[in-house]
Amino acid sequence: MSLSREAIVEGLRGILGPEAVVTDERVLVENSVDNFRKLQNIFDVHVMPVPAAIVTPTNAREVAAVLTWANEHGVNVIPKTGGTATEGGLESAVPDSVIMDGSAMNEIVKIDPYNMQATVQCGVPLQVLEDRVREHGLTTGHSPQSKPVAHLGGLVATRSIGQFSTLYGGIEDMVVGLEAVFPNGEICRIKNVPRRAAGPDIRHIVIGNEGALCFITEVTVKLFPYLPENNRFLGWTLMDMKTGFEVLREVMVGGYKPSVARVYDPGDAGLHFSHFAAPDDCVLLFMAEGAEGIAKATADGIQAIVDRHPECTQVPSEYIETWFNDLCWGPDKILAEDERIRQTRNVNRTTEISADWSSINDIYQAARQRIIDEIPDITMMGGHSSHSYINGTNMYFNYFFNVVDVGPEEETEKYYLPIISIIVEETLKRGGSIVHHHGMGKARAPWVRDEYGSSYYMLETLKTSFDPNGIMNKGTIFPI
Amino acid sequence: MRIAVGFKVTPDFEALRAADWARVAAAADAEGRAQATRYVRRVFGVFDEAALELALRLRDARADDGLPTGLAAFTVGGPDASPFLHTLQALGFDCLRVDPGGGPASAADTAEAAGALDFAPAATAALVAACARQLGADILLLGERGGPGGSGTVPFLAAEALGRPCVTCVTAIEPAGADRLRVSFRADDGPVRALTAPPCVLAVGNAVVSMLRVPTLKERLAVRDVPVTQFTAADLGVDVGVALDRAPAVRSLEPVDRSRAGIVVTGATAAEQARALYEGHLRARLEAL
Repeated sequence: MSLSREAIVEGLRGILGPEAVVTDERVLVENSVDNFRKLQNIFDVHVMPVPAAIVTPTNAREVAAVLTWANEHGVNVIPKTGGTATEGGLESAVPDSVIMDGSAMNEIVKIDPYNMQATVQCGVPLQVLEDRVREHGLTTGHSPQSKPVAHLGGLVATRSIGQFSTLYGGIEDMVVGLEAVFPNGEICRIKNVPRRAAGPDIRHIVIGNEGALCFITEVTVKLFPYLPENNRFLGWTLMDMKTGFEVLREVMVGGYKPSVARVYDPGDAGLHFSHFAAPDDCVLLFMAEGAEGIAKATADGIQAIVDRHPECTQVPSEYIETWFNDLCWGPDKILAEDERIRQTRNVNRTTEISADWSSINDIYQAARQRIIDEIPDITMMGGHSSHSYINGTNMYFNYFFNVVDVGPEEETEKYYLPIISIIVEETLKRGGSIVHHHGMGKARAPWVRDEYGSSYYMLETLKTSFDPNGIMNKGTIFPI
Repeated sequence: MRIAVGFKVTPDFEALRAADWARVAAAADAEGRAQATRYVRRVFGVFDEAALELALRLRDARADDGLPTGLAAFTVGGPDASPFLHTLQALGFDCLRVDPGGGPASAADTAEAAGALDFAPAATAALVAACARQLGADILLLGERGGPGGSGTVPFLAAEALGRPCVTCVTAIEPAGADRLRVSFRADDGPVRALTAPPCVLAVGNAVVSMLRVPTLKERLAVRDVPVTQFTAADLGVDVGVALDRAPAVRSLEPVDRSRAGIVVTGATAAEQARALYEGHLRARLEAL
């Protein structure tokens, strides 16, 4: 028999003490959604189940105690740190869930410049860590748009990627070790080593688990030299995305590792580059960084490749540098966007996928056209590729629509989910992945079996083995 | 009723990070203002954007009462205004662009002339008044202040040129029958709501509604081939040559320091923080009132 809301709160207070159990109704309501249903918070119209409490443990033992208790009583636990999730991973899908907020675990445990790694608790904001390691002339190399707000635990849990990924990799390439707590209370530490071949790489059970298997309490990430004085910026305008994808492919196949390699379609370019790009222009841009010789060789190599494409028109590098300096989204931009949505009911959403070079342009073209044709009230349908690999790239669909004739709580059903559905369908049809870096959350969980195919057996076994009672973040990755 | 809204496309200096200001300032020193702003995306002037949305809302409200309203929008500037005019066409405005260069000027010359007009409010007002006449506007709606260099005098000067009354600091406009409007504005002694009869000039200030709605892609496609009416200053019978010649040259640009001192109020609980805020920072001020 499931516990009552009061019994859940009482149980949690017994474990952590009353100060670590938040039951303020207003706070709970606001935490019933994440950015997937952000209109509910912006317009203060809430329809999701309200969590029973938010708990703020301060160490792994407290996390273990709460999880053990929740596992015993069948209480759904939603792991959270910075709260920048965009795919519903932090939504309370069932009533009386408990949000386990790791933001109180915010100690930088160790910065080790000699071994080029830093160990932090899950609630350390990435910006704080980045600022601290910069004092040593180092960088994490991780720079998602959410850097000013996101915390390390959540970034690892959602398999985050940063804007410099083509050089530094995704978070999975940066994490060398970690500590995580499983629903039965087991505290597991994966040691920090450069590499090992002692069986499967179990880091990947934890990285990207989205709180559906365990709670991450500590991570150790790689560090890199920070040499911004060597940064080089390159940019071009061009007439079509196909050429842009082709240039990106040639750069990757050529073995170059720019930190930023992007191509924007005209709609998306119009949001950032309208002061130098014509309305029908795509924009191709790169940033090379690292040691002086490497940055120069990278920039020279890219220049030579693009020079072979006379349809690309070079723009002053200062244009790209200015754009680069205003990349991240802090609280000021988030508040400004919320106000714009409140006044105009014009909403910006994004969906990211990946595919090989043969398919990416077809997916982009097909999904874009279908969305324009099939979804009402679209005001901008565009996107860009921003993370490239030797065998393919991602597509970050960026779109706006007016919310018309429905309440804020119906926005996802009328617009957002149908758009996601089109992008997912067109991606699966061509063998791509339906999620590049936002995580499955609850938004794309319905397609998890299609995404995994026969390998779903392996994924499902992880869930049933580590979380046999299904108390970890119900509905995330694995649909209810 | 025909409403014409004058708007200005301005560089979004707010989007510039500190690191980029040095580049902008250096370009201003070396090449002049127009070149300095090439690193910066363009936006509607903030008060102009509010004026445009208020015009749309007034049109919609009058339509609910069965009253027709014609909307027009105009700007003085170069081709970089085109995307903005296209947006307004999609929202239902008839659009007009005035090239201040006065002839077959290059884009750079046009941009330089438009920039020079930032510091020539009388010439700008003459162009604005001419546009209002050209468009047959019963109501001329303007933002009360433009972007960089905005003196805040253009609405007054345009009203004088047109021989119409001018209401400033407008915050809301509502229909009041077929031929009149109910206008809310801020006066020295507080907010005022009054009936106004066209023709008049309304200068929009800190309106609660400050952001322009967004047209759909289909609305944009529907007007893709609709041309924007273009005039030169000479076509409108306005000589801006003297004003441009006398306009001050921009020698440097620098950001306005809007940083404010901050104190982090600490306390283990929200109650403790509130107490610290009150005792340490509010109590003395409140008692002094």
